[in-house]
Amino acid sequence: MTDRLAPAAQQSVLRLGNRAFPPGQPIVMGIVNRTPDSFFRPAVTWDEAAAMDRVHQVIADGADIVDVGGIPAAPGAEVDVAEEIRRTASFIGAIRSAYPNVVISADTWRHETGRAACEAGADLLNDSWGGYDPLLAEVAAELGAGLVCSHAGRQSPRTRPFRVAYGDVMADVLEHVQSLAARALAAGVQGDRIVIDAAHDFGKNTWHSLEVTRRLAEMTATGFPVLVSLSNKDFVGETLNLPPEQRLPGTLAATAICAWHGARIFRVHQVAESRQVVEMVSAIRGDRPPARAVRGLA
Amino acid sequence: MLTAAALCPAPPLLARELTGADPVVPELRQACLDAATDLLHSDPDVIAVVGAGEQTRAFGARGRLDLAAYAPALALGRLDGNWPAEHDGGAPDGGGALLPLPLGLGCRLLDQAGYAGRLALHTVSDQASAADCAALGARIAGPAARVALLVMADGSARRGLKAPGYLDERSLPFDASVAEAIRAGDMAALLALDAGLAGDLMATGRPAWQVLAGALDGPRPASMIRYSDDPFGVAYLVATLWPQHEAMPT
Repeated sequence: MTDRLAPAAQQSVLRLGNRAFPPGQPIVMGIVNRTPDSFFRPAVTWDEAAAMDRVHQVIADGADIVDVGGIPAAPGAEVDVAEEIRRTASFIGAIRSAYPNVVISADTWRHETGRAACEAGADLLNDSWGGYDPLLAEVAAELGAGLVCSHAGRQSPRTRPFRVAYGDVMADVLEHVQSLAARALAAGVQGDRIVIDAAHDFGKNTWHSLEVTRRLAEMTATGFPVLVSLSNKDFVGETLNLPPEQRLPGTLAATAICAWHGARIFRVHQVAESRQVVEMVSAIRGDRPPARAVRGLA
Repeated sequence: MLTAAALCPAPPLLARELTGADPVVPELRQACLDAATDLLHSDPDVIAVVGAGEQTRAFGARGRLDLAAYAPALALGRLDGNWPAEHDGGAPDGGGALLPLPLGLGCRLLDQAGYAGRLALHTVSDQASAADCAALGARIAGPAARVALLVMADGSARRGLKAPGYLDERSLPFDASVAEAIRAGDMAALLALDAGLAGDLMATGRPAWQVLAGALDGPRPASMIRYSDDPFGVAYLVATLWPQHEAMPT
């Protein structure tokens, strides 16, 4: 493990929608699931009005990005393209109408859904499944959207890891996300709209997710903005032996470590708590000043 | 010959960077800037800056204010992209020797006021007697050249239960007497301040006020108080004084 900070100079401005985020400014992405069966607080935002209330709340709590997903990561009832689009696209349009400047992310691996989402107003295609559908990058390029290039251990979408093993999991992550980023660039995605993500728990057991957390500085050293999606995941639950509703402290601990290593986007359920953690770490790193310092200075 | 004198406090938080995202005391900074600007308007050949220090001595004008001593993160150079828009730039004149805080803040104020002329920087010992302080003030104001004086001096730091030095009720009449002396141009009252009491009250400005009194020896000067408050339990007084032979701007 390295205890050295990745120099911020290696990072550059990230553009999402009409927003520009300088290095050192932590970005919080609030999760809004349009599903009846996600693992954390299932179905709370299945109802569209409840989902819009959730959007209002995450933005009020300090989210820069709203991440809308129509399919849970875990295996379960089939959700075809038409159903995924039905769950997400018009809802994204409603968010765009309510918040002209908020960054909207669509959590999908499918290019058809990605196209519908972008046409409805999404700015970022958040593919947690490691570039499974290569046409997704083409859609991002065509519609000027950003793209998350993640590592899912080359697993198919909605599959669980089964006896996965890596000679060096971080080396595999780095090789894969950088090859996806190169593919995205070649497809025409704008370089300042490409994000990389180790995808904790995707194609990884708990030991692997702990390892990529410990070594996250190797990802930030690539210069690509790094997204981390840690929120209440099983690697936190297995590490602390706790059910999903009791994983917030563990999530925040992992969040702090990733922030220290220079991650820039934090995909979370608990926006307000996460915002406090990433801003605290940002000030410890020296990327941001305190909000208000007077003690000892008067 | 003294053209004008300005009185400003010298807390670290006068440097905009140190209070973080919140400017906290913009009105105090503005008052200090206005007082410094008064000095420029008095058309000086040189501006002398005086503040309390461990010993009485002169400093070179190319010195450097080390804000990183108060906020080490400033030295990392990573805050620039995340700094509020009203951030007003870095420390004056890098490369030189370190300046004591009052002198460094004073130089920065003059820089912000647009002054690029000659400087004379002095600290005055916190052990110096009133007579010694007054003599220094007279020497500073004495030359034939037109000299403006910027005095960086703080009142008591014991003005409340949350004040840096906790509450000492004697601080209130003490600081009131200083403010009244400045308002009335009563330099004798400044020279009569009790150094022992000032020390008890953590009123670090005592020797610098007495330098001011020595520089303004003679007929009572006119004065304008621009700020007088204690938002953090330390008395901050900002004022400009004009000798009778100089016209006070209208």
